[in-house]
Amino acid sequence: MSKGIVIDPITRIEGHLSISIDVASHQIVQAHSKGEMFRGFEVILKGRNPLDAQQITQRICGVCPVSHGMASILAQDQAYGIHLPENGRLLRNLILGANYIQSHIIHFYHLAALDFVDIAAIAQYQGQDPALQDLKSWLRAQGKTQALYPAAPFLPRYEGAYLQDTELNLIAIRHYLEALEMRALAQKMGALFSGKMPHVASLVPGGVTEKVTAQNIGAYRSMLHKLRAFIDHHYLPDVVAVAKAFPDYFRIGRGPANFMAYGVFPESNQDDRRLFPSGVLINGQLGDFDPMLITEDPTHAFYQGADELAPTRGETKPWPKKEGAYTWLKAPRYGGQVVEVGPLARMLVAYHRDQPASVRPLIDRLLGELNLTTGDLMSTMGRHAARALECKVVADRCAEWVDALRPGEPSCSAFTIPAKAVGVGITEAPRGALGHWLEIDNGKVDRYQCVVPTTWNCSPRDRRDQPGAVEQALVGTPIADEKNPIEATRVVRSFDPCIACAVH
Amino acid sequence: MTVCTRREFMKAGARLAALLCLSPAAAPKVAEALSQLSQGNAPLLWLQAQSCSGCSVSLLNSDHPTPADLLTGYISLVFHSTLSTATGHVSMEVLNTSIAQGGYILVVEGSVPLKMPEACVVGGEPVTTQILRAAQGATAIVAVGTCAASGGIPAAENNPTGAIGVPEFLESNQIAKPIISIPGCPAHPDWIVGTLVHVLEFGIPELDDQYRPRVFYGRRIHDQCPRFADYEREKFARNYGDEGCLFKLGCVGPTTHADCTTRLWNAGTNCCINAGAPCIGCTSKDFAREAKFAFYRMNEKM
Repeated sequence: MSKGIVIDPITRIEGHLSISIDVASHQIVQAHSKGEMFRGFEVILKGRNPLDAQQITQRICGVCPVSHGMASILAQDQAYGIHLPENGRLLRNLILGANYIQSHIIHFYHLAALDFVDIAAIAQYQGQDPALQDLKSWLRAQGKTQALYPAAPFLPRYEGAYLQDTELNLIAIRHYLEALEMRALAQKMGALFSGKMPHVASLVPGGVTEKVTAQNIGAYRSMLHKLRAFIDHHYLPDVVAVAKAFPDYFRIGRGPANFMAYGVFPESNQDDRRLFPSGVLINGQLGDFDPMLITEDPTHAFYQGADELAPTRGETKPWPKKEGAYTWLKAPRYGGQVVEVGPLARMLVAYHRDQPASVRPLIDRLLGELNLTTGDLMSTMGRHAARALECKVVADRCAEWVDALRPGEPSCSAFTIPAKAVGVGITEAPRGALGHWLEIDNGKVDRYQCVVPTTWNCSPRDRRDQPGAVEQALVGTPIADEKNPIEATRVVRSFDPCIACAVH
Repeated sequence: MTVCTRREFMKAGARLAALLCLSPAAAPKVAEALSQLSQGNAPLLWLQAQSCSGCSVSLLNSDHPTPADLLTGYISLVFHSTLSTATGHVSMEVLNTSIAQGGYILVVEGSVPLKMPEACVVGGEPVTTQILRAAQGATAIVAVGTCAASGGIPAAENNPTGAIGVPEFLESNQIAKPIISIPGCPAHPDWIVGTLVHVLEFGIPELDDQYRPRVFYGRRIHDQCPRFADYEREKFARNYGDEGCLFKLGCVGPTTHADCTTRLWNAGTNCCINAGAPCIGCTSKDFAREAKFAFYRMNEKM
């Protein structure tokens, strides 16, 4: 006999997600992932000037707007037949890189870590660090107020087995505070070339409108230097420390164990080389990625239509009262298979392809330190580790891209919009593989379809009743206390869900 | 980090007084407002409707106060879906108990799906109902971002969910509470923080006919534009990346009310026009509304 538990809302993610689990003998036996918000971007884009798309699609998500802007301008570059100047390619990578760094830092420290770290440990702080002393006295003062919920937004919370090691808790809390400033610094670094963050101004088909100057190169380098120090000396060691304290989570939250990466960060204007390569890992076998194998299935989603359609033929016709539907997410499939996307997928594909050269040694060193195998990475904690390693690889590579910029040389190319054209923008958001499919007719958007990372990860069941990646990952997760199902939220958050993206 | 001593409150108060263009004499009152806030006297509920979380992300980009200051010393953030440790039923208890007690500032981020309530559901409750419920106990309601202020992109032409802004939604439900809109896509962190402090200490700031604080939205972008001299000399950019006034690429600075070009974004780093990109009018109530008004007008013959 199983018992149904609804976790709604799942906070500390982006957007509106509800998770229903069935628990029997303290273990999840079945899970449903429900995206609870719809706006209809694809419907809104129809009939607009295609140049509007990069601005409008950025507003799909305030955490990873750059990725949507990037997918949109890549689709437009292709539709207009544009060749980028070198500065344009580099600036795009530097803006996207800044967005990755801020997204990964906020995810670990501010969204996920509070499932592991005991924030109440601050009450035991005896040291001299002014930030921690301030936080401790704030917490004490909060306890003396009449406030209904003192110490919000940090308390209340699920009760559960948090980190026991006081010193480690205090380090993590100190870094939570520092990470708030670091992620703002990453935003600032991106704004040097993008105008502002979030929702950037400078990304356009043909390149980037901001000019390259010695001043903005110097500023970017300086900010990046601080961020790299934070990633190397705080973020990576903190993830390793949490991983060592929660070794079970290398066995919890495995998921479909099939992975897909589209590849991201173009390394050349002449060919399709990217920093992180594309590829799929199905049943442990590495294969090439083929965009023609992508379909979306609306069977259990609040949309009309019953066919599995390729994005080039995709439709978005909302039907909120549809029988048998339980989410606003369609079910994307790759050749009919459920795949996981995200930093773990990118790192595993990069590991198998041994490209870039920096990835394999980093992963091997981490696995050695934790006495694990690559298979163990397919887990809750593996996702955190992969995200942190990726953050380092991206930040390190940004340092080389910024050195390659050439002040005074152009950063964008001119173009004209044809009356009829198609384009596909294939890239990766911090949360995983992202594609925009654009069809222009009479100079206007005729069809626009986005297939988004969290649509893959938080997908519902499909017509064959195959559960989505998160739904699969939750099955088998132990639940010690049904009133505080913290274990389930740890699994869900490891995917870094973004529901505004997933439904759009 | 946390501002705790009176001296620190005074320093922070002076910074915010400057931000709000108040006289230095106002600093002690602002400091007092901050101090009350940190004691939990002015709780804040932050609800997300049809939002992208961009305004929350922007709020975390606040420079002075820093994000850490903001959370522990400036606002008593009782509920915020992206930041609260509470999740699931624990977070709904926090929300419901707070609503029952009342006396908070209600912030709404995102538009309201008027014609399709199923398009935004939180804790099993349509956000349309939730906002009306939360509005009852609020001392003031702040619509953060253009989606909340006037519908934003979800309300653009074709608007499949019948999305509207929060002020219109509340008015149509006869809810008479003080309301302030802080449009922008996203809203600038200074606009959000500055408005909240003003509400707490000085009451509702002077607003224009769209509920926007005049201190931030009183002037047009064009009037404060670093490329204004190019416009005067009729030196116009014809392609992205060109020098000159961006008007002929589609810039709507002449009709957009905000202070981006003087305040700058991300702690004084940059802004759209300085980065060579036309103003797309993201603080205006008709932002993105009609497809025929494209953001960019490349090489328009004028």
